Amino acid sequence: MNQFGILMKKEWRENLRNYKLFWIPAVFILFGIMEPVSNYFLPQILDSMGNLPEGTVLEFPVPEPEQILSAVIGQYQLIGLLILTLAYMGTIAGERRNGTATLLYARPLSFRAYFLSKWAMASIIALLSVWLGLLAGYYYTYLLFVSIDLLNFVQFIATYSLWIIVVVSVVLAASAVSPNAGAAAAASLAVLFVSQIVDGLLGTYWTVSPLKLPAYAAAWFGGGPVASDFWWSAGISVLLIIGLVALGIYFSAKKAASTKV
Amino acid sequence: MSLLSVKELTKSYDGTLAVDHVSFSLQEGTATALIGPNGSGKTTTLSMIAGLLKETEGSISRDFQSGVGFLPQYPQFFPWMTALEFTEMAAQISGVDNKKARKQSIKTLEFVGLSAAMNKKAGTFSGGMKQRLGLAQAIVHQPKLLLLDEPVSALDPTGRREIMNLLKSLQQDTTILYSTHILNDAEEMTDQLLFLKQGKLVEYGSLPEVKSRHAEPRIKLRFDTEEAAAIFEKRQLWQMDRDRNIIQIPFTDAGPTMQQVLAVLADNDTGIAGVEKQNASLEEIFLKVAGER
Repeated sequence: MNQFGILMKKEWRENLRNYKLFWIPAVFILFGIMEPVSNYFLPQILDSMGNLPEGTVLEFPVPEPEQILSAVIGQYQLIGLLILTLAYMGTIAGERRNGTATLLYARPLSFRAYFLSKWAMASIIALLSVWLGLLAGYYYTYLLFVSIDLLNFVQFIATYSLWIIVVVSVVLAASAVSPNAGAAAAASLAVLFVSQIVDGLLGTYWTVSPLKLPAYAAAWFGGGPVASDFWWSAGISVLLIIGLVALGIYFSAKKAASTKV
Repeated sequence: MSLLSVKELTKSYDGTLAVDHVSFSLQEGTATALIGPNGSGKTTTLSMIAGLLKETEGSISRDFQSGVGFLPQYPQFFPWMTALEFTEMAAQISGVDNKKARKQSIKTLEFVGLSAAMNKKAGTFSGGMKQRLGLAQAIVHQPKLLLLDEPVSALDPTGRREIMNLLKSLQQDTTILYSTHILNDAEEMTDQLLFLKQGKLVEYGSLPEVKSRHAEPRIKLRFDTEEAAAIFEKRQLWQMDRDRNIIQIPFTDAGPTMQQVLAVLADNDTGIAGVEKQNASLEEIFLKVAGER
């Protein structure tokens, strides 16, 4: 077996046995379901609070089903990113720090296979989580409201998936660069949230950026994003992912000597 | 034929020399003990040879293709991985093909005495079991050179003895370089001694060579009682050092010969219990070399 295969097997076992394979998707599914359900029950919830005067009539507009799914990724943008960061911050930095990496690094290890195996496994779990979460949201929206056009939903999920791979690449590259898991988390959260804030404040001045991907994902429900903006953003995101992976491979090899002996 | 030769090996951290121009070579099939006080650069030297650290200066040339086997002082394992899974993965990363990796892993784990715990997770292992697993992963790919950092320091006497016996049985077809500060172990299994002090190689050679260089031969007299030794000392026949019931007489040109000492002892009722000609032990040499400025 080549080293990538050997190390993938190790990553698979690790994610299975520390239950990341289960709890990360579970959290994403929970948030995927919560949004349509709480929207559906909002009138009853307010009713049951019971402190409204007798005879109050509240009229709720039925939410557009697309808004519900957009709200789900709104949750993922905060809590989802936080969870992915915390789950994978230590994947390289932590192994170096606690010395488990030493026994691997003392061998003829391919750092490309080493980094890529971790990146691939984290991406698989992140994508699995997002897909299951959004599918759950899609299903509950269909149950409680109306169905959403499947093609638009696929475009939506594909666009958001690309963004999630960008996120995973940022976290893994940070883990390769940083001296410990905490620093890796701080670095990746700073990069992810600061850039989102900057894009939120000044983003009206540009239309091409990986940070626009979540917005463009939601835009598929309303006639789709401007094609050229979308494809440029997607292209740049792919280049960014390749760049981050290259950076991660370079730093996992360069900082191998910092492993605890 | 030398399997590994190290020339002017140096490692500096921010100007401080952890290893300072160290040169030596290892002959195939020999065991070499790396001794020295704490902080003398033993671990750094081993790490550089294992390829974990990049040397600042100097060179390491290996006369073999396959990787080395390395056992750190405190080997850390993935707690969720079983002993067999880890050993197998280690062998595979070192290039052993799949089928062989499993077979060799099982054989190696049996060799180190972990056959019963093969499918248990490393997270549940005791210190002694971790050390055995560490040894197993270091030898599973049958490396030509085995590097061990304090392989027995953390073990109890039984564990120490068992690991030393394992190492001795490996010695036939593996070249071993190990660091230790248990000098009995060094004396037991070594063809060559490397003595590091503050990063410098201060003593280097085969065990008999090093011993004869620092021999300080002396005649050791053991008396039945402390009083008997004290009475003998008071006679001030020669230069003598007394420690309770033991008297040591330096064996120099100026001092007495063995025959002279024996003659004196035979003439009187001195309460002698034993007479022995002795050289400095490795521990004395260690303390002397470590203490020198």
